[in-house]
Amino acid sequence: MMLKYELKKIFTKRINQVILAAALLVGILLSCFAVGSVFYVDENGDSPKGLNTWRLLAEDKNQWKGELTGEKIAEALRIDRALSAQYPDGVPDDVYGSEMQAYSDIRDFVINVLTPDSSWDASVLDQLTDEQAEDIYDIYRENLSKMAEEYGTTPEEKDLLNRIYEKIEIPLVYEAKDSWDTMMMYVETYAIILAVIAGFLAAGIFSGEFRPGVEDVFLAAKYGRSRAVKNKIIAGVLMTTVVYWSGMLILSLISFAIMGTSGFSTPVQIWETYSIYIMTYGEYYLLSLLCGYIASLFCASLTMLVTVKMHTAGVAVCIPFFLLCMMPFVGRALPSFSAFFNLMPDMLINIIECIKAPILYQIGSVVFRQIPLIMVIYAAAAVALLPIVYRSYRRRGLRKR
Amino acid sequence: MELQFKNVSKDYGNIHAVDDVNYTMENGVYGLLGVNGAGKTTLMRMLCTAVTPTEGKILWSGKDIFRMGAAYRGILGYLPQNYGFYPDLTVYDYMMYIASIKGLRPPVAKKRTLRLLEQVGLTEKRKSKMRTLSGGMLRRVGIAQAMLNNPRILVLDEPTAGLDPSERIRFRNLISELSEDRLVLLSAHIVSDVEYIANEIILMKEGRFFRTGTADQIISSMDLDVWECTVPKEKMNSYLKKYLTGNVRTVPGGVELRVLSETPPTDDAVRTGATLEDAFLLYFGEKAGDRNDAEI
Ligand SMILES: Nc1ncnc2c1ncn2[C@@H]1O[C@H](COP(=O)(O)OP(=O)(O)OP(=O)(O)O)[C@@H](O)[C@H]1O
Ligand SMILES: [Mg+2]
Repeated sequence: MMLKYELKKIFTKRINQVILAAALLVGILLSCFAVGSVFYVDENGDSPKGLNTWRLLAEDKNQWKGELTGEKIAEALRIDRALSAQYPDGVPDDVYGSEMQAYSDIRDFVINVLTPDSSWDASVLDQLTDEQAEDIYDIYRENLSKMAEEYGTTPEEKDLLNRIYEKIEIPLVYEAKDSWDTMMMYVETYAIILAVIAGFLAAGIFSGEFRPGVEDVFLAAKYGRSRAVKNKIIAGVLMTTVVYWSGMLILSLISFAIMGTSGFSTPVQIWETYSIYIMTYGEYYLLSLLCGYIASLFCASLTMLVTVKMHTAGVAVCIPFFLLCMMPFVGRALPSFSAFFNLMPDMLINIIECIKAPILYQIGSVVFRQIPLIMVIYAAAAVALLPIVYRSYRRRGLRKR
Repeated sequence: MELQFKNVSKDYGNIHAVDDVNYTMENGVYGLLGVNGAGKTTLMRMLCTAVTPTEGKILWSGKDIFRMGAAYRGILGYLPQNYGFYPDLTVYDYMMYIASIKGLRPPVAKKRTLRLLEQVGLTEKRKSKMRTLSGGMLRRVGIAQAMLNNPRILVLDEPTAGLDPSERIRFRNLISELSEDRLVLLSAHIVSDVEYIANEIILMKEGRFFRTGTADQIISSMDLDVWECTVPKEKMNSYLKKYLTGNVRTVPGGVELRVLSETPPTDDAVRTGATLEDAFLLYFGEKAGDRNDAEI
């Protein structure tokens, strides 16, 4: 019953209601932006923007759906070469729409394979023979072990990278993944917003008590120094969970309902070719959802703690904003401390960048990749802060001054 | 069952908010009277385990209340001075919330809530948000929440402050109604608020219990008499300077003064019966800033 009313307190607060309504609106807006960000060219060279465009795009690309064998890749490149020869001054839109768009991801994959270390350079395709194209996976494997050598700075790291790269299932299985790809950015943006909101609402759980006459009633109640505090903390965690997952559910449902879910099991290696995270786009999406959730929980725990320690929510509510929005800029300004900044909580809502970078941490002989490490750190921190919140609040006023 | 204060002190920095209080209370209504800053609230907050004493102990039937913890708080009801609330909860939800943190089981909580809201005359307001209540209604909710767990010890910090006279009287009646079979400690800096309901008066000054006893005992402990005299208006100021003066009233031919003095201030001064208010004036002197408030 305590919990019920504690939650009621959170969700009936007028400011919280306003904020949650705004969050809902932002979620819907973000879905609209995501849906509107389609880039599709039809066979007439037009770029329609209708609601079914995503499905048309997926349909077009899914002509190439299935195992991406060497032969298939070579075939795509043959078509590409012929088209390039035919239109030396650039392919007209209608040809792009009817021919090139469909295999563009495959072409990109090959370019990525061939430029592991250098920047994007489409001209590498010109030097590629038909036989080499068929054997693209040999080049890929070779480059993978080269990259393992290069990214790993210690034998343990090299070893781990090699083991990871071996898990890539070759040939890759292709399916159009534009909806998942596009949604990543929106999920991460929304995760920041939801984490800041969770922090704000969580701070309010305790700051609501820090007014003289309110707190005294609370502390003088039978369970005011025990069960009632525990329920406040549980309410904080529950509120965060509900707010975060309902927000994300709304965003995902609206977006994917329109965009379709093609590409759930496409490996991210199709685009992030040398990423040290071997997973499908669907897993990638869920991973960033989970990381966002951890970020939200961490923010909620931290703001609760700071509110209890400082007896006011003023500073506390700014912390998530600072950690998630300002930290990246601070980190960028101090590149020599990147090892430190790469472990900051803002990384949890920057999974897009994290999967690109082969960041490793070695403790003794154990090597960790960045994402699992930050996930563990902040999930553990979020949980570990809660008993401290409990103890600090429980002892309010009981110190002899 | 008794509540004992043993050498209880509370310091804030170098302010002695409560200074070496020794006192024992049993069932009945205790009125804690003192000027602003006398330490009433501090004493009550200690009694409610919101803050610990810097020194000394508070015992409930021989046991340290801070050691007793939840068991002690279970028999406690408290209305703080600046009674605060959760503005967006409805009255009913607020009561139910407080009931839950007081450990009442839901069916009991519901029954007590409805009964108390009726008793304080707020049944009709039970679905209103707390923020929409008037000051007087809030105080009544405040009392009702303090009574939820049917406390053995009821602590009310200035329950009548800021209420209009009729509300004040209703409130006093409500308190005496609720005070049966329990220990009630209520504070005020206005004499009339406690005079009629308290069996025992405690005068508190600068953190100390300065005089205690029934109203009569306190009145008879005064070593001055109370006089009423009429003086010309232009002489009033010299009287005010010379004597401890209570009520001042303009009458035909001058002003009528109520004066505390060993000797008659004028030849035609009439000795009258002392009241608790006179005692308050005597013991708190000019510091009784809210004296006029009491005359409403
Ligand atoms: N939290 C605190 N921190 C510092 N000083 C405090 C605190 N609470 C009370 N004091 C000081 O302790 C003294 C007693 O204050 P207290 O509030 O107990 O008086 P009071 O008798 O309740 O006064 P009032 O009639 O105005 O309510 C005052 O000097 C006050 O400034
Ligand atoms: Mg006070």
